[in-house]
Amino acid sequence: MTGTLRQMLTCHWSARRIQRYLDADPAAPLTPGEISRLEGHLATCARCTRVVAEHRTLHRALSLWSGGMDVDPGSVQRIRDFLTTINDEDHA
Amino acid sequence: MNDSQPQDSAPRKARFREWVEPEIEVLLRVAQSITANRADAEDLVQETLLRAYRAVDRFDGRHPRAWLLTILRHTNANMHRRQRPGTIGDWELIRAAQPAFGRSELPSAEDSFVDQRLHEDLAAAIRALDPRFRAALILVDVHDLSYGETAAIMGVPVGTVMSRLSRARQRVRTSLRSSSLVRGGLS
Repeated sequence: MTGTLRQMLTCHWSARRIQRYLDADPAAPLTPGEISRLEGHLATCARCTRVVAEHRTLHRALSLWSGGMDVDPGSVQRIRDFLTTINDEDHA
Repeated sequence: MNDSQPQDSAPRKARFREWVEPEIEVLLRVAQSITANRADAEDLVQETLLRAYRAVDRFDGRHPRAWLLTILRHTNANMHRRQRPGTIGDWELIRAAQPAFGRSELPSAEDSFVDQRLHEDLAAAIRALDPRFRAALILVDVHDLSYGETAAIMGVPVGTVMSRLSRARQRVRTSLRSSSLVRGGLS
């Protein structure tokens, strides 16, 4: 009973940190201690491991969308040219 | 650089180019998401760069991407207001996600499976999201922007981005559990 409760609390604690763990965004880093504790929990908890897998799959699926949103090289070049124009015209 | 320029102008221009050049593709991608149109996206980025140039003397050079994206957000809001009275909704950030389904080159058979099987369910799940949550998801997971950059575009604190992102992901994951995400055997 105590073990189950402890497991639930650890799952809850982990669930609140999985996003930050996977994103590893510099604006919201986990401490080394948190990372260690989370990875230890993931090694033994099938439910939280599944959540991590779903996060990764979702992110991958969303990343695939960006393939169709590739930037047109012509657009990039036109913006570069425009940048040059701004600089050239500034002192005109 | 032209020798006839004022002496203190050249370093300023060089710094501006240094800050802007690496961000051009990101600016265009985000602008495409906002406008859903390449020509409009170019117009938006050009207007953004003009405003950035005027403001460059007040910029300290830290986090140029966030600086430029903030200007882009304000510029888009202003341009939009000129065309159509009213406020711009976050849905505007998302509309362009739709054409992305037409990507022509897929890295692998597995990616192809994910793309073909998931995209309809994914699109439906994302459409069902609150626009604020949807914007956070698209900017971070589709455009790979950082929390800080996303916060700059949305005009909210980083903590709010994280909260919205968490809710968006949770709802989409829940929505997809009974569909392709699980059927695909990838989870």
